[in-house]
Amino acid sequence: MKTAKQLGLALCPKCRKLNSLVTEPVQCSRCHGLFYQRKRNSLQYTLAWNFAALLAFIPANFYPIMIVYQLGIGSEATILSGIGEFIDHGLYPIAVIIFTASIIVPLLKIIGLFVLVYKVHTGIRLKPDKHSKFYHALEFLGPWSMLDVFVVALMVTVVELGFVTSVAAGPAINYFTITVIFTMFAANSFDPRLLWDKKTATQTSLLSDNSPDHISGILPEEKGYK
Amino acid sequence: MNNKIDTLLFVACQQCDALYDKPQLKQGQLAKCTRCGSMLIERKVDSIERSFNWSLAGLMLMLPAILLPIMGVTLAGQYHQASLFDCILVLIDRGFFMIACFVFLFAIAVPIVRLAGAFYISYCFKFNKLKPSLLNFFRAYHHLDNWTMLNVFMLGIVVSMYKLIDDTELSVNLGLLAFIFWLICSTMSAVALDQDCIWEKLEKAFAKDEAQDENS
Repeated sequence: MKTAKQLGLALCPKCRKLNSLVTEPVQCSRCHGLFYQRKRNSLQYTLAWNFAALLAFIPANFYPIMIVYQLGIGSEATILSGIGEFIDHGLYPIAVIIFTASIIVPLLKIIGLFVLVYKVHTGIRLKPDKHSKFYHALEFLGPWSMLDVFVVALMVTVVELGFVTSVAAGPAINYFTITVIFTMFAANSFDPRLLWDKKTATQTSLLSDNSPDHISGILPEEKGYK
Repeated sequence: MNNKIDTLLFVACQQCDALYDKPQLKQGQLAKCTRCGSMLIERKVDSIERSFNWSLAGLMLMLPAILLPIMGVTLAGQYHQASLFDCILVLIDRGFFMIACFVFLFAIAVPIVRLAGAFYISYCFKFNKLKPSLLNFFRAYHHLDNWTMLNVFMLGIVVSMYKLIDDTELSVNLGLLAFIFWLICSTMSAVALDQDCIWEKLEKAFAKDEAQDENS
């Protein structure tokens, strides 16, 4: 199976038109947009956004996300303690939804992208078909983490009954939004085609290593490394 | 010159860069990549007509969905209701500018821009008013592909209703109905729009102009 890269072609990411690659920012002949054959510095951008998201995720979990005032007395709740309250009230389905959307999905996204970047960089145990499906799942799940932000925004707006009960948002909501947006940027800047590129590159290098005139020289060294 | 003809006969997979001969599809068929299983090309049924109608309906539902109150709360004899737009006003009032900004972008601005964009594009195609500016316009439309979060907001409404139903008397208003229909319309108009078909038609319409430009 040949790839467009091997034949010197590049695919426009916006209009999906194949262009012949002449100089590196290619101007698409159909939509006139500038683009690169692969996303530029994809791994570095993904790593950087990922670290930023991970950093923002820490205060997002420690600061209170929602403060409920009842008769003037405020009680603070973080993301986790909010979920705990749901479990106490017996609202298990909602607890599961919130837990998935605001803890599991961001963490899974951050860790998953780290793993993907690592695998593309080293090429160890790389299974492009599985990993690209995993990447699509991550990309699809991204926006759903905004759930908690929208819930808090709605609660703040709807429950505003003056002195009796009112809800205020806590500082964590800012950090949490930043986390979600950064993970979305991280997922956007990762290029799944790199998975396949790396795989074909390692396969061809393995094939050349196994050719008869190489075997005698290389095998003992490899054993030594392991 | 040889390369230019080549590129018209091939398609590459967006996700794994595998190269294929361009399949000739009928309406309603789609081609998938054999290596990674993602979609290569899709021919949607009645694309222009459908996305025109869905986006027109969406634009009409836009105002009620944003301005009508979604739900109300009664507690200790006091009643308070809120719409999507109130949400943003209250957040600004309380000083959460960033959250207000993002909620506005993801739940109001981006869906409206995408609906209006889909409407404009399908309008131009329906009445054969193709202009070169459509190329830039449709490219810009793709920038917003991932950033519509109406469906997430809908789930947010459901979750916060669950939260409130325990302690307070919750009342559902007309805004919720309008919002659900708006969500359906905006999703359907985005789904119905056939990108490949539109790009090909645009290319055919403006390829001549470019050839003339090169000659002159």
